[in-house]
Amino acid sequence: MRPSPRLVAALAVLPLALAACGGGGSSGTPAAPPSIADASADNRPVKAGGTLNVALSADPDALDPSISTTLVGREVFANMCEKLFDIDAQSSLVPQLASALPEVSGDGKEVTIKLREGVKFNDGTAFDAEAVKKSLDRHRTWEKSARQADLAAVSKVTVADPTTVKLTLTQAFTPLTAQLADRAGMIMSPKALDAGSDNFGASPVCVGPFKFASRTSGSQIVLEKAPDYYDAAKVKLDKLVYKIIVDPNVRAANLKSGDVQVGDNLATTTVKGVQGDPNLKVVSGGGLGYYGITINTGNASGSTEKPGTVNTALAKSPQLREAFELALDRDVINKTVYNGLHEVDCFPVPVDSPYRAKDLQCPKRDLAKAKQLVQASGAQTPVPVTLTSPNDATNVRLAQVIQQMTKEAGFNVSVQSAEFVSTLEQGKSGKFDVLLNGWSGRVDPDGNLTNLITSRGSNNYSGMSDPGIDDPIKQAAAESDPAKRAELYASAMKKAAEVRGVLYLYHNKYYLGMSKNVAGVQYFKDGLPRFVTAGFTA
Amino acid sequence: MLWFILRRCGSAVIVLFLASVLIFLGIRALPGDPATVMAGEEASPAVIEAIRHEFGLDKPLPAQYLDYVGQTLTGNFGRSTQDQLPVIDIIAERLPVTLELSALAMLVAIVVGVGAGIVAAVRRGRLADYLATGFGLAGLSVPHFWLGLLGILLFAVTWRVLPASGYVPFTQDPGQNLQRMILPALVLGTGFAAILMRQTRSAMLGALSADYVRTARSKGLSEVKVVGAHALRNSLTTVVTVLGLQLGALISGAVVTEQIFVIPGFGKLTVDAVLTRNYPVIQAVVLITVIGYVLVNLLVDIVYAFLNPRIRLSGGAND
Repeated sequence: MRPSPRLVAALAVLPLALAACGGGGSSGTPAAPPSIADASADNRPVKAGGTLNVALSADPDALDPSISTTLVGREVFANMCEKLFDIDAQSSLVPQLASALPEVSGDGKEVTIKLREGVKFNDGTAFDAEAVKKSLDRHRTWEKSARQADLAAVSKVTVADPTTVKLTLTQAFTPLTAQLADRAGMIMSPKALDAGSDNFGASPVCVGPFKFASRTSGSQIVLEKAPDYYDAAKVKLDKLVYKIIVDPNVRAANLKSGDVQVGDNLATTTVKGVQGDPNLKVVSGGGLGYYGITINTGNASGSTEKPGTVNTALAKSPQLREAFELALDRDVINKTVYNGLHEVDCFPVPVDSPYRAKDLQCPKRDLAKAKQLVQASGAQTPVPVTLTSPNDATNVRLAQVIQQMTKEAGFNVSVQSAEFVSTLEQGKSGKFDVLLNGWSGRVDPDGNLTNLITSRGSNNYSGMSDPGIDDPIKQAAAESDPAKRAELYASAMKKAAEVRGVLYLYHNKYYLGMSKNVAGVQYFKDGLPRFVTAGFTA
Repeated sequence: MLWFILRRCGSAVIVLFLASVLIFLGIRALPGDPATVMAGEEASPAVIEAIRHEFGLDKPLPAQYLDYVGQTLTGNFGRSTQDQLPVIDIIAERLPVTLELSALAMLVAIVVGVGAGIVAAVRRGRLADYLATGFGLAGLSVPHFWLGLLGILLFAVTWRVLPASGYVPFTQDPGQNLQRMILPALVLGTGFAAILMRQTRSAMLGALSADYVRTARSKGLSEVKVVGAHALRNSLTTVVTVLGLQLGALISGAVVTEQIFVIPGFGKLTVDAVLTRNYPVIQAVVLITVIGYVLVNLLVDIVYAFLNPRIRLSGGAND
């Protein structure tokens, strides 16, 4: 059997053609990042009715605010489970189910929250202080709750009257309002909790513009317009259908074909292709989180255990860690790996955060100095480094770029790629030398620091333990003056930059692809599209 | 005959037992602790411990195995650790989807593969033969994910004649269901069509040069009758055997196809479950797949034994 040579040739060329259509961004000279507008600026009028199909990049875990831990889960909650507080387009905290920002006593240990009146849960149950207490107590005391740490400062929740709750704290804790603007502040219907508390996530009931209708495991989640919602007049869409489409190319293709009208979390390689489509637009959000290179400096037996000795060249020598950082060019990384679509930085707190001191500077690439440091360290070159990376295409590319950059300074990086879950496990247990990983980010800087760089923090994969980092972060949490907090955080971040347990690379921006006839979507720094006012243009 | 069937059933039970042990141990050999995955990145050790306890992961392995077997025998597969839905419900929802996809893909494979094979054999050495064999080679070498992406790009994005992905149950809207299943079935069926094409072609070539065909021709029968009634009929036994053997491969092919077309079937469920270390789901899915394989094999053995007495007399040498 002889295959036709012409047919073989045609088939061989097809993948290239396909890559070209997909808008693959590996062109030689990356262009300047496309200007992408903020979604919250879109106020075109929308008509009532319609179903909005939204492609999610991953399958959410249980839709239970107490145990959910995924970013995609938060995306679904954003339209179904309102919180005591929320953030607005400027990332300022605003009341949502509360009627005003909390009143905090002089010593910071008593927080009074007034609630919105005339509100009903999506099953018709009345929303009141008792319901708030029930949810908050579940968040903070249920053994399976992932919110325990968020509310660790709360020792008691009291119902003062039907529209007022009082939280008693063990110590002043300023980030509390921000925590209550996230999952820890979501209030669940007491009736639904009574019906099956442990299994609440199978059919969640909250206060929100949309109510849970159905879920097909791994495939889709359907929400319907909630008739009991207090602001129902604002809600235009009849239905929200979240479709789980993991592959970034397929997600972009669904957007182009019109099968979905909103595509969440576009891969940086597909942004250009979506933007180029005359029927589509792209808006950006996010930027609270970060991505970086974690260096194991003291995580010998687990991130929450006492730090110990790690026997790798980078762990033992601060000089080598400095050389490793100086060998990296963050701008080039952003351009070659991400088409210039992320925000380059070397600190964990977002660049425009009010809690970020202005004098924080990032080191530029300095190969000469890096080489010098390697030599001065007395280590035998090339210095062996094992880099653990998640095995998706983007991370593998990042790992290769790091490998090349540091090679010039005298490092020999061998890349060990594993599936994402395994890399997290290695990070937690300290079984790595250098690890690529990131953090989705929180509104209050405390959420980007305490668990991640203070001693025995649950996400302190590096195993950093330094009073110069721990103390100011702890003090800042008890401080209510923003200027003083910014100062304390600056001091902690400077110290962390010296220790170099994490080499931050960039703040990750999220890109939301949308049909041009969809308007009213609110997309803020937290990267969670809110569809309460969204709809199809009239 | 009865003795033969009993013996076959006995060995099927042993295979199932061994498979259950292997599945159980295999999953636990995966790196990554399910309790940690479920608890999420921020979790404290206490939360992880609570989850481990709830799912019985803190018990010794033999006790966990007994729990698993006990549950399974009573038809209770536990709850998915990902979204907390009962595993049995998830499977009841997913299995028909994959069966439909596989059936459609099989149909594509038979129509295209057998058809092309006959044409190639009859037109041996001519253009049609080259086209068919070229198709066969391409169908075998092109990976599913690439073909799937190409299909979406052409039919959904460029021409907009078919939806890009997703699934609508047949009972809800048959038209929508078929529209969405055409591409995946074509993609999944292509590889099998290629295999069937090659098998049919070679079997047909053998048959066409056989004496009985020459006899049929010399009797003055029409070419259609010679090819259809004589050559094809005698070639079909080989084709059917290959078809049976490929059933298993169809299921593994569905894994990739379902991922690309976002079809909530068994294959996608398996991948998602492995990626999230969803023990209860992986265990159930793999076990059901194994049961499927064993049953099909058992059936094939018994049917063969009926057809060919030599097999049951010799004790089933062709296991």
